[in-house]
Amino acid sequence: MTVFIIRRLSQSLLVLFITSIIVFAGIYAIGNPIDILIAPDATFAEREQAIKALGLDQSLIEQYGTFLWNALHGDLGRSFVFNQPSIDLILNRMPATLELAFVALFLSLAIGIPLGLWSGLRPNSVLDETVMTGSILGFSLPNFWQGMMLIMIFSVWLGWLPSTGRGEVDTVLGMRTSLTSWSGISHLILPAFNLALFKISLVTRLTRSGVRENMPLDFVKFARAKGLSERRIVSVHVLKNIMIPIVTVVGVEFGGIIAFAIVTETIFAWPGMGKLLIDSIMRLDRPVVVAYLLVVVTLFIVINFVVDILYSLLDPRIRLGSAA
Amino acid sequence: MNSTSRLKRLGLVASTAIFIAMSPALAADITLGSSTEPSSLDPQFSRTGNNQNVAAQIFDRLIEPDPNLQVTPALAESWTNVDPTTWRVKLRPGVVFQDGSPLTTEDVIYSLERAKDIPNSPAPFSGNVGAIASMKAVDPLTIEFKTKSPTPEFIEQIGLVYIVQKKLAEGKSIEAFNDRSAAIGTGAYKVKEWVPGDHITLVRNDKFWGKKPAFDTVTIKFIANDAARVAALRSGSVDLIDAVPPGDVKTLEKTKGIKLSSIASARNIYLALDSSRDESPFVVGADGKPLNPNPLKDQRVRQALSKLINRQLIVDRLLDGAGEPAGQLVPVGIGGSDPSLKPTAPDVAGAKKLLADAGFPQGFGITLHTSNDRFAGDAETAQAIGQMFAQGGLKVNGVVAQPYNVYATAAGKQTFSAFIFSLGNTTPTSATGLRNLLMTQNKEAGTGSFNRTKYSNPAFDAKMKEAMAEFDVEKRVALLKEATKIAIDDVGFVPLFWPKVYWASKDNITYTANRGEDFMATLAGQAQ
Repeated sequence: MTVFIIRRLSQSLLVLFITSIIVFAGIYAIGNPIDILIAPDATFAEREQAIKALGLDQSLIEQYGTFLWNALHGDLGRSFVFNQPSIDLILNRMPATLELAFVALFLSLAIGIPLGLWSGLRPNSVLDETVMTGSILGFSLPNFWQGMMLIMIFSVWLGWLPSTGRGEVDTVLGMRTSLTSWSGISHLILPAFNLALFKISLVTRLTRSGVRENMPLDFVKFARAKGLSERRIVSVHVLKNIMIPIVTVVGVEFGGIIAFAIVTETIFAWPGMGKLLIDSIMRLDRPVVVAYLLVVVTLFIVINFVVDILYSLLDPRIRLGSAA
Repeated sequence: MNSTSRLKRLGLVASTAIFIAMSPALAADITLGSSTEPSSLDPQFSRTGNNQNVAAQIFDRLIEPDPNLQVTPALAESWTNVDPTTWRVKLRPGVVFQDGSPLTTEDVIYSLERAKDIPNSPAPFSGNVGAIASMKAVDPLTIEFKTKSPTPEFIEQIGLVYIVQKKLAEGKSIEAFNDRSAAIGTGAYKVKEWVPGDHITLVRNDKFWGKKPAFDTVTIKFIANDAARVAALRSGSVDLIDAVPPGDVKTLEKTKGIKLSSIASARNIYLALDSSRDESPFVVGADGKPLNPNPLKDQRVRQALSKLINRQLIVDRLLDGAGEPAGQLVPVGIGGSDPSLKPTAPDVAGAKKLLADAGFPQGFGITLHTSNDRFAGDAETAQAIGQMFAQGGLKVNGVVAQPYNVYATAAGKQTFSAFIFSLGNTTPTSATGLRNLLMTQNKEAGTGSFNRTKYSNPAFDAKMKEAMAEFDVEKRVALLKEATKIAIDDVGFVPLFWPKVYWASKDNITYTANRGEDFMATLAGQAQ
C-alpha cells in the first residue's frame, strides 16, 4: 500500500509538471490577452502600461520560470482579468460545482441502478424495451439541447422551476449550499437533471448488461440452491459483482462532471467553475486556465485513487500494491 | 340572495383586478439579465463595458454621457477653459457619498491621481488622465487643472474617470472594493451583495444627488448564454435583458407581454484593407504568389471593393435588419458625423471599370479573414462579402473564420490582407476613433493604436491634428467632418454597418436605448 501511494504520488507530480508546460505554452501560442482585455479606445501608452503590468513583456521562458518559481511557493499567479489569486477564483466557485456534481451523481445512481436492475431482470419485456429506448435518447440528444428543452418546458411553459442562477444559499459547516431551502433546491433541480441525464442512461445500461451477464453464472445458481431469496441474491451478491465496472466508469465521469460541466453551467447560469474555465480560455486569462487544469488533474488523480481503493473493498482479490 | 352573492363575487373580482393592475407599480424591484459581468467592483480597474455597466450605477463621473454619447454635467456642474492649458472645474455642491461623507475636491484629485496607476489593470484609465500636468483646489468646490499641452477635449477625457472616496480607497487594494468596504460611491445605487458568476444586488441610494432612482432593489443576474438569457425573460425570472440576439428579435416582438427597445450602436463594423505594404500575403496573382505591387495600395482598387459590397443586403438578410449600413465611422448624433457621407451604393459595373482602370481587368486572388464569435453575424458577413467580391471578378481563395482570441492577436500583426473588425466608439465625437484607427501609427504621438493596416495619409493626419487642437467645439466638429471625408474618399477603411443593439423587457418596464450599449438599472423605468 505504501509503495503504491509513493509511486502514485511521484507519477502525479510528473503529470502536473507536464500539464503546466503544455497549457502554459498552448495559451501563449493562441494569442496575446492584451488584444482582448484592452479598452476599445485605448492609447499606446495604456497598452504598454497594461502589457508591463501583466508581465507580458517578458519572453515565454521567463514567464514560465516566474510561474514555476511562484507555484513551488504555493502561488499560482493572479488572474489577468480579475486581478485576484487564480486559485481563490477557482475555490470560490468550486462549492457550487461540487454541489451540482454530487446531486447529479446521486440522481444518476439512484435512478440508473434500479432502472438497470429492473430491465436486466426482465430482458426483452416491454419495460426493458422502453428503458433501453429511453436511454438511447439520454445518450444521443445533445446536452445543450436537453437543457434548453428543460427550460422551455419547466420554466417557460409550465412555470414550475426557475431557469437561471443559484437561488438562496446558506452556509452549513463552512460550505455554501443551496440544499437547505426550497428556493435553492428549486434552482438546482433543472441543471442537476440536465447534467445527470447522460449519466443515468450510462449507469442504466451498465447495470443492465452486468445483471444479464451475472444472472446465469454459477454463484447465482448456488445461492438459489442454498435457498436465498431472489431479493437478497440480486441486491447483495449480483449487485456487488457488477459494481466494479460501474465504479470505474462513474469515477471517471464524476471527474468530468466536476471539471467540465461547462454546457450545463452556461445554460443555467450556474456560478460554477466550468463557466470560469470557458470564460478564461476565451479571454486568454492564462493564470486561471493553468491553475484550473492543475486543480482538475489533481482532482482526477484523487478520484482514481479513491476508485482503486473502492475496487479492493468491492473485490478482496484485488491488491493495491500490484494494481499500479 | 343570488344577486348579493354575485355582487360580492364581482367585488372580489374587481378588487383582484385592481390589485393585479397596481402590483407592477407597487413592486419597485427589478431583475436584470446581463450578458456580461464585471471583473471587479473597483470602478477604475477596467475601462471595458463589462465593468462600466456596474460601476456607473454605484459611482459617478464628472460628466455623464447621454444616449448619444454627448456630454452632460454630473459631479462637475460646470467647467471653463481659462487659457489653452488651464481648466477650471466646478463641482456640484451638496453631493454626498453613500456613507454620508461629503464629496470634496480632495476626493476628485485623489481619484484622478489614482487612475494613473492601478496595479495589474488590463484596461486602465491612464489615457484619460494623461494630459494632466497638475491639479489644485482653488476653493472648496473648484479645481484648477494645468495640462501638459493644449487639450480641447480635456473634460471628455477626465470626465469619464469614476470618482472614489479618498479615505476609503487610499492605500487599499482591489480586494477592498470587491468586499464592498471601499465600493461606496455617490451613485444612484448601493451594492448590497456580489456573488461572482451569479448575481449582484443593488439597493436605492436615498442620498443620491440626481433624479430619484426608479427601483428599490436591483438584482443583476449574469446570464452569458444568449438562449438562456432570452428564456429567463420569457419564463419571467428576469424583467429586462440586454444583448438580445438578432435572430430572436422577431419572435420576441410577437410575444405578448414583452417589448423591445433598440438603437444603432456607435460600434462600427468595417473591412480593413492592407493598403500600406508592397506585398500583402493574401492578395495573390494567378500563380498563387503575392502580387507586387499590392493592388490594395491603389485607391481605385479599394474603391472598387467598397462598391462591390451590398451593405443593405447584408443587414437585411444576415442580420434580420439588425443594423444600419455605414458610410463613415460614427452614426448621426455623434460629433463629426457627416450626413452627406452615405453608405457606398453597390455598383458592380462601376467596380469592374475601376479595377480595369487600375490594371486588374481580370481581378486578382484574395482571401478574407474574420472572427466568428465577436459580434452577431461576423463570419456570415465575411462569407457574403467573399461572394460579392467573386461577382466583381475577383478570385476569392477562401474566407477564414477564427475565434476572437486567436484572431485579435493575428490581426494586430499584419497577418491578413482583408479582414473584418469592429471599433467601439465611446466618446462624444469621432476624434478618438479616427485617431486610433486611421492616423499614422506613432507611439510618441499616441496615434494609430488600432491602425492594424498601418494606413498612412498625410492630408488626413494634418486635418486630424488641426481638429484635435481646436478648442471651439463647432469648428472642431467641422474639421472632423473634413478629415472623415478625406479618409472615406481615400478608402482608408471600408465601413460596413453599425449593428443595432436590442434590449427586451416585460411590458411594465421601459428602457432607454443608447448608442454606448450600456446596460444599467438607472436607464430603466416603470411604464405608466
